[in-house]
Amino acid sequence: MVEAKNLCMKYDKSERFALENLTFQIDRGEFVFFVGSSGAGKSTILKLMIRELKPTEGTLKVFGRNVARLPRHRLPYLRRNIGMVFQDFRLMEERTAYDNVAFAMIVTGASRKEISKRVPHVLGLVGLHEKNMTRVCDLSGGEQQRVGLARAIVNRPAMIIADEPTGNLDPGTSLDIMTLLRSINLRGSTVLVATHNREIVDRFKKRVLYLENGKLVGDEQKGIYTHVH
Amino acid sequence: MFISGFFYIIGETFKGLYRNRWMCITSTGVVVVTLLMLGIFMLVNLNIGFITDTVKEQVEIVIYIDEAADEAELEQLERMLLNHGLLEEVRYVSSEEHMDRLRRQLGRVLEGYDAEQDNPLLASYEVKTLLPDNVVPLAREFETYPAVSAVFYGQGYVENLFAVTGVIQMVGLGLMVGLSITAVFLIAHTIKLTVMMRQKEISIMKYVGATNWFIRWPYILEGLLMGFVGAALPLLGLYFIYQYSVEWITVNELVFLSLLPVELVILELAKYLIPLGIGLGILGSTFSMSRFLRV
Repeated sequence: MVEAKNLCMKYDKSERFALENLTFQIDRGEFVFFVGSSGAGKSTILKLMIRELKPTEGTLKVFGRNVARLPRHRLPYLRRNIGMVFQDFRLMEERTAYDNVAFAMIVTGASRKEISKRVPHVLGLVGLHEKNMTRVCDLSGGEQQRVGLARAIVNRPAMIIADEPTGNLDPGTSLDIMTLLRSINLRGSTVLVATHNREIVDRFKKRVLYLENGKLVGDEQKGIYTHVH
Repeated sequence: MFISGFFYIIGETFKGLYRNRWMCITSTGVVVVTLLMLGIFMLVNLNIGFITDTVKEQVEIVIYIDEAADEAELEQLERMLLNHGLLEEVRYVSSEEHMDRLRRQLGRVLEGYDAEQDNPLLASYEVKTLLPDNVVPLAREFETYPAVSAVFYGQGYVENLFAVTGVIQMVGLGLMVGLSITAVFLIAHTIKLTVMMRQKEISIMKYVGATNWFIRWPYILEGLLMGFVGAALPLLGLYFIYQYSVEWITVNELVFLSLLPVELVILELAKYLIPLGIGLGILGSTFSMSRFLRV
């Protein structure tokens, strides 16, 4: 599903590599944590996967295609197969939970009938069935992240990428969100989570890729943050 | 895709206008002010053009025939005038007809004067050119014929009139071009502010897989609507201003020549201002957006 070979990334104005010589493979249906301190390169990997950035050297294949060579007009179609969850939620705050989730379906060309059936169902899955028509700005942080999750899964993507999804949430809510991500993974989607939340990583015992200064320093199945570290 | 996408785009256009109403009002206001100024210049220019054309059309050349000219020279002149491609009308006026005109003008002053015995007035040709701008060069051409004694066309007056109106029209044109360029910059910057306020929204659209065109359309339609309203309002204003001005000028008899009719002028302005407003709105939106679409 994701295959990185000698992957390097250097930002324009930076002296050092943000990612250096990364080689790893992620299979369909896996749940993977990318862990490491701030600036280790976790978010950079995720950005490369959705082609928000292009690698400086090496190759990164997502769904079997080299994303760096993907023509610009094909990018939307790559992104429709990847559900994104962000630390800062990135929701349209003045719009309702329903509108935010429906939007991800509208851009794919889903019919109105399909949208009106699927969106309430997905909002129900994340526990927001009663807040369909509440504006996002009137929801709590945890609820907003649930809307973000609903938006990420509404098109049944093959892969979910979550960049610090619990970064702005309290421990209890963080656990709820991660439990939701695990249930999404159990339904067949590949889930990649960038985090430095030690407690969450240790609790879920999934595959952990550990990054330090842009280098991959550990790759452990059923890993624990502390062990890898 | 088409139906849900289409309704989404239309809906988003109006929602976007409502959500960002103050910014939209500002952008439209900028279009209104610039197009109003442009419209005023166009109105003035159109009327100056109309007045000068009317004056130019009234200018004719009078060619006085030399009494000493022989038959061959007279025939050469007549043939040339009748076959000239740049003339609209050629009329021969005999010395007797000139005398009759003089009698009508002077009335009793010439009573008892025997014009048949002693008529000093020369026969002439009165010609009208097809294009007013040809008056001066043609008059110079006619002077070269041996049968011609003198040529009159309002020397000095015509050249000055043509020069002054030419300068006024060039200045007007320059101002209109300058204003159009200013309008493009002002509108592009104002719309850019609107787009910047919605930068986050655009990046979210990109993350969920919206194509650039899907994102662009509501903004383009917003630009189109703002441009249309921004052109329609000054047109409406100019209609009333011009109508009032024409009435005032007519009542006060300020211009010896009539101005262009209101409906004709407004239609002429609409032909330029509406597409210009719409074009400015669309261009402004498209240019302002391009930077934010590279996510």
